[in-house]
Amino acid sequence: MIDTDFLAETLLKLLGGLPITLELSTISILAGVVLAVLLALLRQASRVGGLFVRAYVFVLRGTPLLLQIFLVYYGLGQFPLIRHSILWPFLREPWWCAILALTLNTAAYGSEIVRGGLAAVPTGAVEAARVAGMSRWTMYRRIILPLAFRQALPAYGNEWVIMVKSTSLASIVTLMEVTGQAYAIISETYRAMEVFLCAGAIYLTLTFLLTRAIGALEHRLTPYLRRPETTLGGLA
Amino acid sequence: MASSLELFGFGPQGWGHQLLLAGLMTLAVSASAFFFGIACGTLGAWGKSSHALLPRLAADVYTTVVRGVPDLLVIYLFYFGGSTAVSAIAHAFGAEGFWGLNGFLVGMLAVGLVSGAYETEVLRGAYLAIPRGEIEAAKAAGMGRWLMLHRIIAPRLLRFALPGMGNVWQQVLKESALVSVTGLVEIMRQTQIGAGSTRQPFAFYIVGFLLYLVLTTLSGFLLHAAERHSARSERRPA
Amino acid sequence: MSSPEIVVAVSNLHKRFGALEVLKGVSLEAHTGEVVSIIGASGSGKSTLLRCIPLLEVPEEGEIRISGEEVALRTRGGRREAADAKQVNRLRSQLGFVFQSFNLWQHMTVLQNVVEVPVHVQRRPRAEAVAEAESLLEKVGLAEKLNAYPSHLSGGQQQRAAIARALAMRPQALLFDEPTSALDPELVGEVLRVMRSLAEEGRTMLIVTHEMAFAAEVSSHAVFLADGRIEEEGPPSQIFRDPQSERCRQFVQRHLDR
Repeated sequence: MIDTDFLAETLLKLLGGLPITLELSTISILAGVVLAVLLALLRQASRVGGLFVRAYVFVLRGTPLLLQIFLVYYGLGQFPLIRHSILWPFLREPWWCAILALTLNTAAYGSEIVRGGLAAVPTGAVEAARVAGMSRWTMYRRIILPLAFRQALPAYGNEWVIMVKSTSLASIVTLMEVTGQAYAIISETYRAMEVFLCAGAIYLTLTFLLTRAIGALEHRLTPYLRRPETTLGGLA
Repeated sequence: MASSLELFGFGPQGWGHQLLLAGLMTLAVSASAFFFGIACGTLGAWGKSSHALLPRLAADVYTTVVRGVPDLLVIYLFYFGGSTAVSAIAHAFGAEGFWGLNGFLVGMLAVGLVSGAYETEVLRGAYLAIPRGEIEAAKAAGMGRWLMLHRIIAPRLLRFALPGMGNVWQQVLKESALVSVTGLVEIMRQTQIGAGSTRQPFAFYIVGFLLYLVLTTLSGFLLHAAERHSARSERRPA
Repeated sequence: MSSPEIVVAVSNLHKRFGALEVLKGVSLEAHTGEVVSIIGASGSGKSTLLRCIPLLEVPEEGEIRISGEEVALRTRGGRREAADAKQVNRLRSQLGFVFQSFNLWQHMTVLQNVVEVPVHVQRRPRAEAVAEAESLLEKVGLAEKLNAYPSHLSGGQQQRAAIARALAMRPQALLFDEPTSALDPELVGEVLRVMRSLAEEGRTMLIVTHEMAFAAEVSSHAVFLADGRIEEEGPPSQIFRDPQSERCRQFVQRHLDR
């Protein structure tokens, strides 16, 4: 009953799309974190900055990611100004457009998560840093951002899992990542269930590994939230 | 180049009618999916809190798979898988050719099923948030199962679940854009059509942004009002 | 003119929180090796006074000098603020501040907390800073807890770690803001013991405290604050045994009895 040959063949073809899925996920997640932190800091920095970030978050979180991808990929090319700019070689490529849209999108969600993390940094820790004569930059680098990051990690982990799944939308702008491959096989064979099972297994594995990695990172970074381990002669 | 008033207005050259209808379609498919999701979520929450192994296992598999797999894949599964099934039935009745499953139905089922996984957690959390004492008080007062369910548990459940359900609704609204791949003419699909036939993609996608923002903002206001209403007993009298 | 042996000097400090004037013109000096205790009822402004010195609060009026150097202040948009952030940070790192609620950095071990400022602010070699931190932690009785996290320590241990952190900066003066007020009574002693040994070493200290017996014993100068003004000041023999003003007499009596 189960056509194992077809399943194996499908799985192999789908895995061909894995590198693109991984590229899109990794790059947009990392770039998204950087942008999210900048946005969260900008929001604190000034009134105008705060207004800008709030508008940005409002628009990006209030609209579908698919529409955002389309606006970047099809919409921007409408303008001769952009077609003749040095950015055009990038904005012409679906790969870069997907990265750009995914990054902008996750940064909006991420900046709210980072904001929550920053708000949860104890004022006493900041005061102790100030009174020790730390410069603003040192204080953010050594005290505030590390504490905020640890606070935000669980929520941010969920966002990263969502991002991995969201890379599937890149298939709609012709990128042959895992979902793009799946679509091609289904529209050729009409064996939706089998293809779904294979593609689903790949995504489930990815999201499972990511969740575990985040859990391990959290465990590593927050030993102070656990009961002390009996480390005899622990090293510095 | 037509002025934007003409392009997006309701005149003979305007896309106003189509866009308005598309907006209503987005609302309709989202609402259907949302309610189907509540049904799935109720089943899921019941399964997760069940003492029997099978319902619990089924609910766990359901939420794990749906939350670990792209929504677009689920839509493809329903669209192509559903169509294959429908075609098979049609052929059995002597019809020929390919029978597609209606895009609306696909959207409702697929997006609903996905949202149901999140709804499961919302409803379960809400049920656990009901103070046990209130249920005990109902039991002690001699209320029957059904009476207790609809007089005490349901209202309290709604109170605790409303914020989470609001988030799921906003998610469903945005998710419904994916249904455009089935050809269902909702906002996403309509802006694509307009973008293609007028060669003004930027303007059409921006209008798409605006339409979604109107929908998410309006529902945000309504949800906020509903939350205030359901929490009225917890506020101090003015 | 300020003589070089004055480590901390404030004069005519005024500080308002909204409509509430907490400091109404306070002047104070601490010479090298002096232990100045600042006492007074809650709300008398004693914590605010201490917090003004490293500019955790910016006074609306008045002058602050650290080792003779005046902290530059300016008014901008109707608010007083530091004129030169670099100068403030440099002067702050010459003072060790100990908070009521310890304020250790939770994501770092005790040792990392103590090493943080020497390495990342004062740019001293890590190995040297670690060696010094270890000996400081041994001195405050935490040699066993180098690699523990603050959340795994008792309040008294955390406060001793915070004192080691302040000492690691090699400060000109140590500022204590009610260091034992957040502690369970049975943990107060271990912190006071450490502070007493620091006083005996001849360190310059300013201590805001409710521990009258301790203050009477270790301080070389005592200041009684009431309603944002210095009501009375003098040697501990006067303030704690023979206060001149009625309010000071009542306050000290009430607290020494306990």
